[in-house]
Amino acid sequence: MLSPYRVIDLTDERGVLAGQMLADLGADVIQVEPLAGSTGRSIAPFFADRPDQSIYWAAYTRGKSGITCDLSDPRGRDLLLRLLESADFLIESSDVGVMAELGLDYETLRDRFPRLIYTSISAFGQTGPKAHYVGSDLAIWAAGTPLLMSGDDDRAPVRISQPQAWGHASGDAAGGSMLALHARHQTGRGQHVDVSAQVSAAQATLAQVLAYQLGAADPERYGGGVKIRGQAIRGTADVADGYIVLLMGPGPAVGHFANHAVKWLVDIGAAEPELLDEDLVTYADRVAAGKADPALFPRIQDIMRAAVATRTKQEMLDISIEYDLLLAPVLDIVDLGDSPQLDHRGFWQEIEHADGRRVTYPGPPLNILVDGQQQGICRRPPPELGQHNDEIYGELGLSPAEIDRLRSEGAI
Amino acid sequence: MTLPQGTGPLAGVNVLDLSWIVAGPTVGRAMADYGATVIRVESPTRIDTARVVGPFHADEPGVENSGLYGNVNAGKWGLTLDLRVPEAQSIFRRLAVWADIVCESFTAGVLARWQLDYAHLRELKPELIMLSSTLLGQNGPYNQVSGFGSQGAGMAGIQDLAGWPDRAPAGPFGPYTDYPAPRFALTALLAALDHRNRTGEGVFIDQAQAESSMQLLAPALIDYKNGGPALQRRGNDDPQMYPHGVFPCLVPEGREESWVAIAVASDEQWTRLAEWLDADASLSLDQRRQQQPEIEAALSHWTSSRSAAEVEETLQAAGIASHRLATTEDAANDPQLAHRNHFRRLPHSLHGETVVEGPRYILSETPIDPARPAPQYGEHNELILRDVLGLSDSEIGELAASGALS
Repeated sequence: MLSPYRVIDLTDERGVLAGQMLADLGADVIQVEPLAGSTGRSIAPFFADRPDQSIYWAAYTRGKSGITCDLSDPRGRDLLLRLLESADFLIESSDVGVMAELGLDYETLRDRFPRLIYTSISAFGQTGPKAHYVGSDLAIWAAGTPLLMSGDDDRAPVRISQPQAWGHASGDAAGGSMLALHARHQTGRGQHVDVSAQVSAAQATLAQVLAYQLGAADPERYGGGVKIRGQAIRGTADVADGYIVLLMGPGPAVGHFANHAVKWLVDIGAAEPELLDEDLVTYADRVAAGKADPALFPRIQDIMRAAVATRTKQEMLDISIEYDLLLAPVLDIVDLGDSPQLDHRGFWQEIEHADGRRVTYPGPPLNILVDGQQQGICRRPPPELGQHNDEIYGELGLSPAEIDRLRSEGAI
Repeated sequence: MTLPQGTGPLAGVNVLDLSWIVAGPTVGRAMADYGATVIRVESPTRIDTARVVGPFHADEPGVENSGLYGNVNAGKWGLTLDLRVPEAQSIFRRLAVWADIVCESFTAGVLARWQLDYAHLRELKPELIMLSSTLLGQNGPYNQVSGFGSQGAGMAGIQDLAGWPDRAPAGPFGPYTDYPAPRFALTALLAALDHRNRTGEGVFIDQAQAESSMQLLAPALIDYKNGGPALQRRGNDDPQMYPHGVFPCLVPEGREESWVAIAVASDEQWTRLAEWLDADASLSLDQRRQQQPEIEAALSHWTSSRSAAEVEETLQAAGIASHRLATTEDAANDPQLAHRNHFRRLPHSLHGETVVEGPRYILSETPIDPARPAPQYGEHNELILRDVLGLSDSEIGELAASGALS
C-alpha cells in the first residue's frame, strides 16, 4: 500500500520498529547506519548459531535495505542529503540535540526539503525541561506511570522482561508519520513529528494516568491484577501446568461471563444447581438493596479457583470457548512457539539471511487484504552492514569507482 | 446534510466505529483528533465495558463518569444501535456506505450472521476500508475466544513475562494488548486510506491483537524459534545493564511508599554512581552482578534517605537514566508533560469539565485539540439519523418504535 514512498531510517535500537511497520505496509525503507554499525547491533539476545548477530536488530530491520554512512563526515552528510531528495520520510531516534550538531535537524532541513516528513523519537520529547534526560526502558516506564501500577504489593514494582517502552514509541512514530503524510496531501508540505516515549508509555495505564486529575484514587499494584479502593483482584489463577488469566466479576459489563462460569461449575458438579437461579449481572444491585447474599459471589470465586486448579491451560481454553468464559491461558514463549492458532494463521515466516541461514520470524502484525488480495510481510532479510551501499549509492548516479573511493576514504 | 466537519489532515474522512472498550476505540479517537468524522456506535443493551471501568469523575462509578471511556472516545459522535434488530441493521448498512472506514471488534463471525461483515459490505461499497479487530484473529481454531486485553496479555505471552522468577506473573497493568494493537491498526488504516485515494481499491484488515502485540516480543520469539532459550520473567533484571531496578525512596507525607527507577548502562556510568555509594568504581558489569547483594544494599540505603525526585535529578545530572515512579499526581504535575500540553481540559455538560490525554505525538504544523468530549449514551442519535442519513422525524420515530435505538 505504501509502495510509492521511501523512508530514510536513521534510528538506532530505540526507534527501529517504526520503519519496519511502514516497510511491512509496502514502503521502501533504507536503514542508515554508522560505519561501525548501529548500537542496535549490540542489543541482546544474539543468535545461538551466530553469536555475533543481534536478534534484536534483526527482528526490527527485517524488511529494510541497509547502507552505511558517516554523518560526521561532510561527504557522508552530502550523500544523505542527496538521498533525501527521493525520500518522503526521515525517522531518527538519536539523543536530543545530536541531529542539530550534525546540521541534520528538522529546522535545517525543512527549507531544502519542504515535503519531507521528519519524525523524531526520544525518551521525553524534543523540547522541555526533561528533553535532555537520559532515557531507558525502565525509566520511561516509570515516568509514564505504568510501572508503579505493575507488580506484587509486597515487592518493588516490576517491568515486562522484554523491554517495551521504545516499541510503543515506535508505534506512535509510525502512526504520527502517516497522519503527517495525509496532512501533506492537503498542504503539499511535510512537518516535524515529535514522539515522546514517556507519553507513549502512558497509554499502558488504561487511562489511569488521568486518575488524580479526575478526582479518582490511583490503582495499586496487586498480583497481576489491581487493588482499587481497598479491593484486591488477583489477575491470574493457578492451574495444573501454570496460570490462566481469570477476571470474574458481577455487574453489567462482565456478569454474563460469570453466569456462564456458574453454568460450567454446575455441569461438572462443582456447584449446586440452585446457583443457576442467580443472575450475576444484577447481583451487585441486589446486594446493595439487601436482596442477595454478599457472601455468595466470593464463594463462587472460591469454587471456581478450586475447579480450575486441577485442569490444564489447554483444558481451560477449550472450556472457555465452549462456555464463553472470561478466561485465557497465560502462554509462555514455548506455548507460543507451538500455538496451533498461530500455525493456522501462518504467523511464523521463514526468511533466508544473506549468509544462507533460514531464520524463523514472527509474521505480520496484521493480516491485510487489498482489493481482496492477501498481503504478506516484507520478506527481505535484515541487511548486513552496508549490504546495499552499491545499489543505493549507485542510484544517486555514483559510479562504482566513486563508491569505492568513498568507501576507502571512510565516508560510507 | 452532514455533521459539522472537523479540521485537520483527515477532514472529510468518515469513520463508522463499532469497536468497543479500548483497542478499537483508541484508533477512532486518533482519527477524530485529526479531523475525521467518527460515529461511535454502541449497543443500547450491552454496556461498553469502558463505561464501567474507572478512573471515574470524583471516584463515582457511573456510565457517564468514566475517564477511560472519555479518553478513548473524545471527539466522536455517539449513536446507539441494537444490531439484533433488522431496522438497526438497515441503518448500519446505510452508514457503512457513508463511511470511508469501518472499525469493529465483535467476536469473529458475529457480523457475518447479520450479513454486516466485510464480504457483505464490500458488495455495497467495493472501496470500503474495514478493520476487524479481535484477540486472536478472524480464523483459526481459537478465533472464537472472546475477552478483554487482559486475556490478550495472557495469550500474547506478555503476562508470563511480567514479574518475578520465583512467583506467579505479577503484571502487566491492565489489558495489555489494548496498548500496542491500536498503533498497528491506525498506521495500517491510514496507509489503506492513502492507497484507496490513489487506486480506488478497498482494504480489509484482520487484526489479531495478540499478533500485533507480539511484535514487541519479537526478539524473544525469534530467539526461541531458532534454537535459543525461551525467555522467562526476570523481575527488573536486564541482560546488559547493572545496577538496573526499582529502589525505595524517602516517603513523602501522605503517601505509603515512593520508588525510583535506576538503569546503569555502562562502566563509565557506574564509576559516577559508585562514588556516591562508596563502592569500587572499577567493577565491570559481571563483577557488579557478582556483588549484587552488597551493591543493592548500598544503593537502597542511598536512595532511602533521599526523595525520589532528588535521586532522579542527581542521577540525571550525572548522565544516568533514572526517574521517579510517577503516581498519577506526579504525572499531573510533571513539567515535561505540561510542556507538551499532554492533558487537555474539555467543557463537559455533566461534569462541567473533563480531562483527556492529548495525541501521542506533536505534529509541528498540525496542532490539535479534541473537538468535544466523548459522547454520552445515544447523545447524537437524532443528529446522525437526520443530518447524515436524512431521516425525517416520523422515520426516526418509527425507528425508535422498532427497538433499533434502545
